[in-house]
Amino acid sequence: MPDRSLDQMIDRLLEEERFSRRGFVRRTGAAALATSSVGTLLAACGGVEGTKTTTGGVAKAVTGNHPKVAIDELNFSNWPLYVEKQVLKTFDKRFGAKTRYTEEINDNEEFFAKVREALRRGRDVKRDIVVLTDFMAARWIRLGYAEPLDKRNIPNVSNLVENLASPVYDRERSYSLPWQSGMTLIGYNPKKTGRKLTSVNDFFDPKFKGRVSFFSEWRDAAGLVAVGQGVKTADATKDDVLKAIEKLDEENRKGQIRRFTGNDYTTDLAKGNLWVAMAYSGDLIQLQADNPDLEYVIPEEGAMLWTDNMMIPKGAAHPYAAETMMNYVYDPVIAAKIAAYVNYVSPVEGAREELLKTDPEVAENELIFPPEEVRARLHPHPTFDDADERELSEAFQKVIGA
Amino acid sequence: MARLLSLRRRRSALPYLLLAPGLLWLGVFYLVPALNQVYVSLQDGTLEQGYLFDWNWSSYGDALADYREQFGRSIGYAATATAIAFVISFPLAYFIAFKAGRLKSLMLFLIILPFFTSYLVRTIAWQTILADDSTVVGAAKTLGLLDGDGRLLATRTAVIAGITYNFLPFMALPLYVSLEKIDRRLIEAATDLYASRGVAFRRVTLPLALPGIFAGSLLTFIPAVGDFINAQLLGSSRQYMIGNVIQSRFLVVQDYPVAAALSFLLMAALLVAVLLYARALGARNLTESAV
Repeated sequence: MPDRSLDQMIDRLLEEERFSRRGFVRRTGAAALATSSVGTLLAACGGVEGTKTTTGGVAKAVTGNHPKVAIDELNFSNWPLYVEKQVLKTFDKRFGAKTRYTEEINDNEEFFAKVREALRRGRDVKRDIVVLTDFMAARWIRLGYAEPLDKRNIPNVSNLVENLASPVYDRERSYSLPWQSGMTLIGYNPKKTGRKLTSVNDFFDPKFKGRVSFFSEWRDAAGLVAVGQGVKTADATKDDVLKAIEKLDEENRKGQIRRFTGNDYTTDLAKGNLWVAMAYSGDLIQLQADNPDLEYVIPEEGAMLWTDNMMIPKGAAHPYAAETMMNYVYDPVIAAKIAAYVNYVSPVEGAREELLKTDPEVAENELIFPPEEVRARLHPHPTFDDADERELSEAFQKVIGA
Repeated sequence: MARLLSLRRRRSALPYLLLAPGLLWLGVFYLVPALNQVYVSLQDGTLEQGYLFDWNWSSYGDALADYREQFGRSIGYAATATAIAFVISFPLAYFIAFKAGRLKSLMLFLIILPFFTSYLVRTIAWQTILADDSTVVGAAKTLGLLDGDGRLLATRTAVIAGITYNFLPFMALPLYVSLEKIDRRLIEAATDLYASRGVAFRRVTLPLALPGIFAGSLLTFIPAVGDFINAQLLGSSRQYMIGNVIQSRFLVVQDYPVAAALSFLLMAALLVAVLLYARALGARNLTESAV
């Protein structure tokens, strides 16, 4: 779930009272975000210095060795509104654990800033599971900040869906396991646009001038635009992405793009300020529940598919408990519960079958369980080496005025 | 003798003792962070490998070259908002000080009232007020102030209006204080000496209100230049101010040296601007009552 920024915290503060999980979590999340931002600021002030000696290496097939021990404490850090809490209570009861679940990750970079210094110095970061989006997971693996998983403790790993089994940054899934995936696609209000949308390039219809938004995260924004330009982002070149960034710059200068947003696009879309918004699949399901006028489109050229991954930070105190938790959430019954609650794409094979029994509406939703012909159109975030990523990020930051 | 000496010594130490809490505050919360900013701004490196102190002055050049636009915009927006706030506040403060009578406390209370709500919440309320489908935008279109598919939210107008609104009390209150303090007999004396009301205002009231004007415009302008909330919530990337850049450099891009350099440049620019402004208004007249 890339980029949750200040906008979102504000968004949450203001969000009208709603008796949905979203309304609830928004407000509680604001407090968490406020504290996390302070933490980041402190990290920014205190832990700036570093060594220049760390070198990145490509992950080799490795395995952890975490013998079975009694389970007690488990510190699990995740994004807000990303689990059904009952699932955690059942885990505690079943394994005698005391899980401290913290919804403290609001932004990959912010969270990284918070723990980086401790990781760099090889200290325990007091977290046993963290959930990071692909590019950040890749960075942790490259920097050696992730503990290899002991798969003997995670037999349910066999339920991992095939298309996520071997990402470029962790071919053997030695360090990471998907928590949930999500799509970056288009949400729109047909009453305002006056027509159905089909293509990424509908963002640039002059009729929608000033009513269009993109994410302020280059992997999503430039990624989807590149897809619209016919690029397969899995093997996109730097120039492909730069071309997409240029396109965004051009449209922004013309005034076509109203704003680059974090999660706060939801309010603007619901209020009618935005007609066409870059959106996350899980949000759209909630938005549609609140406002049936809204629609989504998985563009004909394709949409972005990203994954948030569970990892054990290097030096974590309770790796066995962490792996037990991973194994537990890869049980299709549990995975089904989580999917029904969070509305993102479940990485667990069999979760859909469970839901067909209990909640067929969720099971049939193509945003939660994309069928094969949709999956074929889903593209990963483009990935590059450090230097190229920095260059692209810089170029994009210039476009969005930051 | 010894006792006398120690008493004298104690006396001479007293002012410093009285200053100590203030100096300590200044040292811990201003000087240390400011020096830390300078230190960070001279670091070099990358996010992944960490930043190291390296007398790297290039951050300053980069910061100025890349963000000249946002610097200019911040100063322009803040100056415009300060001017508008002055135009609104002066008659208001004048009325409260001279004409409000029994309503004085009530009116002052009303000026402070918005502070009972959080700054963020007030600004977000403006998002609703200025929304595309709102009555304000509808009315503006009917009156021909906005063209057919015009809007207010995510425009310069909205950002400047937001800044003006949010900082208005900082202008109105010092103005009120300095107007309130004016000895009415001075104005009477002026009219007795055949000054017209306009001349009396220009030659007596206005100069005596200068400390309030000085304090009010500084209290409005300085926070307004560094503000990022209004541009973020009511504007778009085309309205981003230097505060937005610093925020995203620190928290999103984590380019600490450039972020620190930007902060320091902003601080230095403000300091210079304030000194020039004080000199232009005649600092000696102001020091007795300013701020």
